[in-house]
Amino acid sequence: MPSWSSFQPFIPIGLAAGGVYALSGVGMVVLYRATGVLNLAFGAVGAMGALIAWSMINTWHVPGGIAYATCVLFGGVATLLYGMVFGRLLAARDPLVKAAATLGLALLLLGVMNRLWPAQVTRSISLPTDSSGFNVGSVSVVWTQVIAVGFGIVMTIGTAVFLRVTKIGTAMRALADDREITATLGVPVRRVEAAAWFGSGLLSGAAGLLLADLVTLASDALTFIVIFTLSAALIARLRSLAVTFVASIVIGLVDNLIAPITSITNFRDMTPFVLAVAALLFFARGRQYSFARGGIR
Amino acid sequence: MEATGSVTSLRSSLASSVHLRRSEAINLVVVIAVVLFAVLALPSMLSLYWIDTATAAVVYAIVALGLGLLVGRVGMISLGQVAVLALGGWVGAKLLFATSLPYPVALVATGLITMVLGTLIGLPALRVSGLYLALVTLMLAGAITVVLVDTNFPNGGKGFLGYNDISTGTPPSIRRPSIASSDPAFFRYSVIVALLMFLLALWHIRGKPGRAWVAIRQSEPAALAAGVNVTVYKMWAFALASFVTGVAGALLGSSSRVLYAYQFPTSQSIVLFAVVLMGGVYTLWGAVIAAALLQILPGAFTLWGVSNDWATILFGVGVLQVLTTAPAGIAHQFPRDAAKLGKLLFGLARRLAPAGGRAP
Amino acid sequence: MIEISDLTVRFGGVIPLDSMSVTFESGTCGLIGPNGAGKTTFFNVLSGFVAPATGTVRAFGEDLLAMPHYRRARWGLRRTFQTEQAIEELSIFENVAMVHEHSRRSRASRQADVLSAVEFVGLETDPHSRVGTLGVRERRLVEVARAVVGEPKLVLLDEPAAGLPDEETEHLGRVIREIPEHTGALVILVDHDMELVSACCGVTAVLDFGVVIAAGETAEVLRNKDVMRAYLGTEEAA
Repeated sequence: MPSWSSFQPFIPIGLAAGGVYALSGVGMVVLYRATGVLNLAFGAVGAMGALIAWSMINTWHVPGGIAYATCVLFGGVATLLYGMVFGRLLAARDPLVKAAATLGLALLLLGVMNRLWPAQVTRSISLPTDSSGFNVGSVSVVWTQVIAVGFGIVMTIGTAVFLRVTKIGTAMRALADDREITATLGVPVRRVEAAAWFGSGLLSGAAGLLLADLVTLASDALTFIVIFTLSAALIARLRSLAVTFVASIVIGLVDNLIAPITSITNFRDMTPFVLAVAALLFFARGRQYSFARGGIR
Repeated sequence: MEATGSVTSLRSSLASSVHLRRSEAINLVVVIAVVLFAVLALPSMLSLYWIDTATAAVVYAIVALGLGLLVGRVGMISLGQVAVLALGGWVGAKLLFATSLPYPVALVATGLITMVLGTLIGLPALRVSGLYLALVTLMLAGAITVVLVDTNFPNGGKGFLGYNDISTGTPPSIRRPSIASSDPAFFRYSVIVALLMFLLALWHIRGKPGRAWVAIRQSEPAALAAGVNVTVYKMWAFALASFVTGVAGALLGSSSRVLYAYQFPTSQSIVLFAVVLMGGVYTLWGAVIAAALLQILPGAFTLWGVSNDWATILFGVGVLQVLTTAPAGIAHQFPRDAAKLGKLLFGLARRLAPAGGRAP
Repeated sequence: MIEISDLTVRFGGVIPLDSMSVTFESGTCGLIGPNGAGKTTFFNVLSGFVAPATGTVRAFGEDLLAMPHYRRARWGLRRTFQTEQAIEELSIFENVAMVHEHSRRSRASRQADVLSAVEFVGLETDPHSRVGTLGVRERRLVEVARAVVGEPKLVLLDEPAAGLPDEETEHLGRVIREIPEHTGALVILVDHDMELVSACCGVTAVLDFGVVIAAGETAEVLRNKDVMRAYLGTEEAA
């Protein structure tokens, strides 16, 4: 078992990762509650935004700030477009079908990304906050990492407040509770859903940017990092933002703290899977029989 | 009463458990024609590159069969079938290296062991359904893939894992049946095995399990009320899918001669699901189409210098198209689409055949 | 005979069945009550989809609640659903045969049993047609055929006439009336169509808010002031 000091450097890394997972998790949960769609293309959208930002900086020499803003905005717009077209078309279907459709989107984006940004080239994004940091004891912390955690906290709390206090937020909660009744109450369902799609899309853009900086800017990896977020969201039963946050931090920490333990470090990649399976099975105990048709009808 | 007359005449036709309607008879003729063509004529028409691709397509047709069964018949979505294929590949390679069992016996043994493993692993997943089942299977597949990256595939080494970390030279090949060791011969062998797997599936679908599965897919409470032990039948579907996929895994090992973990990424399970959806989950032909999409299309792309990313894009669009345009049941829409796609692919195949003499 | 004692079901804060107690002796028995009274919940308890908090159900001398749900069909429990659940992918024959083959009856008699059930309900369509191609009337009849095949003991019919025009309802009524005689089973019919209930059921029980508020001869029950109050919600001057 490695000593404490070999674990230490991984703590800020783990916290930062957790912060980003929480960021994505908030987006995922709110979207699911408002529209019934579990957006499995979350990571792919963010990845594409990050790649667009990379091209803007390196190929077209656009200032960083504009590139980063574009990345976030791309996330919002792309997700909104999907929501307005396919979200609308599939609105009445089973959550399984809706989620499966987002898998289609993920594949589509993955193909486009690999086409436009061939995988052989290594790319990276370095946010200006990478260059400065501070020390906590013997561990160095970079500002980007602080932003990641901070943003995660802020978005979790902010979204929770938003849902409770604002009209749109309350409408989203109502939609999550009972779709049909909410529509009959004169709530502008389409507008509320659009807000959910756009907002969660912005979060995926931001998360994609941060992950591109902190982890890697490879389309495949970024697309499938969504699994970490998914695990956290499932542990929270796709319901509680607070649990999503805590679970995300834990997952980020556990995943990174395993790195120095050589005996099991090879199995590090299993963390999100194992946690997710545990969460899902825990979630499913005490099932209720439903008359809903099964499969992909 | 007129009804009694028709009822009595039907009694006699019901006496045999296989009563063929005209469309089924036509289907049977087509199947026989295709199989004969594949076994007798095709191998000599294809170059070695295409034989390899075609064998892979046959293997994946079996996998698609298993998944199609789960999705189309029972309504269970498993996003982890590629991991089961990898398991089958592992077990198959292990058995073929460590024992001198006759090949068919090794195939069946691989199928059975994979069946047991697949069912055991999938057991907790049986308690959930719909979206959660899909996610659990995806997660389990991911976990298995990680383990496989670490343990690697048996390559004749010692110990339980049977893996020798050889960095130089060519690793020993996974053996093939003695009667079918050349590539074209092994292709024919695989086609026969695939046919047997399809017949196995058909036997299930036409019989008691098939009826129970359809009932479960439509409504679990109604199935229970009819006396169907839903848990057992779901397990049976999983077991059957795992069995055929295990056999496919063993075939894949013998086909590629050596297996690597990178051949079975988790993302492939998602792509598999996509092509199975596109191929159509309510007919057995759908599995064939799915395999063609998965293996032959990329193979063709590579030959033409078209990037495989286009295939990925196509699959993504395909999933969206299938899910949005088949509201009440893909069975109604898709046989037509599938037939169109089939014709397209046949056209492609015909155009490629003359070029078969060239090496890629 | 089926004896329900003290059956209570709790879902969170809701109590769909509250110490429900009633005994049905034989023949076709009605179970009526306003919407939300608990009738479908009661059926779900009998089917085994819902576990009661307390209470017992003894049917034909056996403890029904002790059996796992899928075994109850084998024992002889049959049920139709409010939203009809005949399996669309399968033919009429297969739909009915499925019940038969999961109830461990001998294969030899299956064909005869299935066809006689189909004949009994008056289905004249080709037994090999897919249920998905049939209209509402035929589908309802398929469900009833499934309910009467292979020696049923207890047949639960949940609004079998819903969505049917009058002549079909009459035909269905005639079929339902004959079930006890034809099969020896006890039938419990839940419906809102009072004419159907009066025509088929000798005795009727009334559920309101999960409690049995009246039980007895159908005609008397339907005249009962409490029953009318439960349905109409008006206070009558005593």
